[in-house]
Amino acid sequence: MSKDDLILRKERQLQVELGQQRSNPLAHVFDNLVNFCRSRSLFMLHYCTGCGAIELPPAMTSRFDMERLGIQPMVTPRQADILLITGYVSIKTLKRIILTYEQMPAPKYVIGICSCTVNGGMYWQSYATAKVLKHYLPVDVYIAGCMPRPEAVIEGLQDLMEDIKSGRANSWKKYFHNYDYYLGNQQQLFGEDWQTPTDIIAEARHYDLLTEQTLGEHTALLEKHQKPLEALEMRLQGQKQPL
Amino acid sequence: MSKELNLWLDKLLNDIENVKVERKSSRRIRIDVESDALPALLELLQGHASYVHLSAISCVDWVDAGEFELVYHVWSYETRSLVSAHTRIPREPGIYLSIYDLYEPAGFFERDIHEMFGVYFEGSPDMEKFILTEWNGPPPMRKEFDSEAFVNQTFEFEDYRPQWLQDIEEEGGGITTRPEDVR
Repeated sequence: MSKDDLILRKERQLQVELGQQRSNPLAHVFDNLVNFCRSRSLFMLHYCTGCGAIELPPAMTSRFDMERLGIQPMVTPRQADILLITGYVSIKTLKRIILTYEQMPAPKYVIGICSCTVNGGMYWQSYATAKVLKHYLPVDVYIAGCMPRPEAVIEGLQDLMEDIKSGRANSWKKYFHNYDYYLGNQQQLFGEDWQTPTDIIAEARHYDLLTEQTLGEHTALLEKHQKPLEALEMRLQGQKQPL
Repeated sequence: MSKELNLWLDKLLNDIENVKVERKSSRRIRIDVESDALPALLELLQGHASYVHLSAISCVDWVDAGEFELVYHVWSYETRSLVSAHTRIPREPGIYLSIYDLYEPAGFFERDIHEMFGVYFEGSPDMEKFILTEWNGPPPMRKEFDSEAFVNQTFEFEDYRPQWLQDIEEEGGGITTRPEDVR
């Protein structure tokens, strides 16, 4: 038995004593199996912002080949696990990112690639870009660089896989736990009547993820403005003279 | 053929009064014209000198002079040359004539300039919001709009030396290679 295993065993013993884990070592076998399978079949949403997307084709195709790790692109948010934000996020794009993120089924993971998602990057002075991505969405992994090479992207994805395998990648729960905080930051940019088609509070209630921080002043504001959703009417744009 | 055309064009343009013509190269001509004569000049260039392609309209904000400079880039497939017609309009009230009736693509450029600089084009088909649909502030490309001040007022940034890093530094650790060391 190696030294790491010994430490792991001791940690587990401590957790059992504290009541954080069950004493039966087989109690989490199924969870571990699910986590392992999950980490080995990640579907990455084909949605790219900014310039970092240029590093993804080499990462996906034969040279670096992400698919050997079980990661492959997926075209719709409803079938995807990972949302990659590759580069600067303009405020207009951020709206779409949030809509996309809320459509994705949990568990979902967000990776912020490039310096721009970390702290504004080289566009920090721009009036049109959102600076820190994690103010608006919970982010699992940041990959800094301008832009990071495919090796770095794959390294980051492997970190995420490791996190998922060990059950640490729970940032998607944070969105439900702290919805008031994220909504407040979104409202600051998009105005008070900002509303998404997904009812996050109802989902949090349904999945038993409601905490004290889920509801607050910002969600109260949302409920005041919230309109019931209606099917979108199909029509050609505008009655004006065509350009 | 095109050389001959260019010679004719130079001769004709030099005959027009109150217009400063400068040939930058064989394919580039700069014309400075008063704002009231610009639509007439463009009509002349389009109708009689084959400049049928409006490549772009650009705008420059000369804030100290209190003027906007509008530059109309038109291209001819016959002479294979680009004419840049420069004109200046006062910043206040910032209203100018649309050339949509001459060049239809102008509607697109004028809408863009209206959004970015706040210049209003009379007769343009659509002066509504275009790209910055989420923007409610002043036209952002105007020189008096201070983007940096706006950003500092609106957004919060991550701390570059957060508490956990300072704690590590106190214990003698920290960043081993600083960006300025490798530059």
